Amino acid sequence: MTRFVSLDPAVRSRDDVEGATTKETRLDAAHARELDRFLAGVERRALRIAQLALRNVDDAHDAVQHAMLRLAEHYAARPSEEWRPLFFRILYNGIRDIQRRQGVRRRFFGWLPGTTAHAEEDAPDPLEQVPDAGPEPSRLLETDEAMAELQRALQRLPARQLEAFSLRCLEGLDVAATAAAMGCSEGSVKTHYFRALQTLRAELAEVWT
Amino acid sequence: MNDHRDETGFSELERRARAAFDASVDSVDAQARSRLNQARQRAVAAVTGAPARQARRGWTTWAPAGALAASVLVAALLMRGPTGDEPRAPVASHPAALGHEPLEMLAAGEEFEIATSDEELEFYEWVEVAAVADTSTNGQG
Repeated sequence: MTRFVSLDPAVRSRDDVEGATTKETRLDAAHARELDRFLAGVERRALRIAQLALRNVDDAHDAVQHAMLRLAEHYAARPSEEWRPLFFRILYNGIRDIQRRQGVRRRFFGWLPGTTAHAEEDAPDPLEQVPDAGPEPSRLLETDEAMAELQRALQRLPARQLEAFSLRCLEGLDVAATAAAMGCSEGSVKTHYFRALQTLRAELAEVWT
Repeated sequence: MNDHRDETGFSELERRARAAFDASVDSVDAQARSRLNQARQRAVAAVTGAPARQARRGWTTWAPAGALAASVLVAALLMRGPTGDEPRAPVASHPAALGHEPLEMLAAGEEFEIATSDEELEFYEWVEVAAVADTSTNGQG
């Protein structure tokens, strides 16, 4: 497993990650291509992770777009091996902001018929809407069902456990990079991850046997 | 782009979860890919000064200034309104329409003389006679 360079303490606070103390940069063509390759490689995974957390396609796109722009504007000049944990840290900061807004929307407008809150609940889940591209139909159905089951189980996890599981297992960050992305200690990552696995085993024991 | 990931030590549940997630990533539809591609291009353009960012910011940068200029122009036109210098159709009851501007003359402090002397009366009589003569001459011609 690739080891990621831990973020230095100067970028561990949210303010630093959100660019308050960093300056915008200009890249040469080669560096810009490297950034483009990195973003192209991570964008779809980031979208799915954001969808798992937000359960809304448009909000997920907003979070990913925000993370891309923030990373490019404030951290593109940093070593490329730091980009992945930085990107996911920015992504999860954006996800939390959107979740707060979703909570406010539900609190103040949730009683109205046809509001966003209702629409989100009524809308078909994008992760269950697997399109017709890709492998053969039987295989597709199998993986589709597996993802639907996994998603149902993931929805039972607390936010921090979901973050730890998404970054550590689904995205494949090591413990140090996951800790950097979550803005917590490695011990906390291990604790969140362990508890997430326990919950998922209990939830998926019957359907994934 | 899964090459950075290692499943060493993973349990069966973790492997299956990752496989299901990878399948869902591979099945991202074309519309979502297009949106992601556009977002990525904007992000990269933001640090290279490429046209994507300039185009995005071009009209939005100047739009507020243009709106401000337009509103100032409209306000100036409205304030100028009826006291402007544009020509207006003469109104018979208005003194200016008759060529008299007594208030302006008084306000300007100009001195104007009232015809009182005999010489001036004679002059006005001559003007009247000359005008009548001129009219009769034209009528005969």
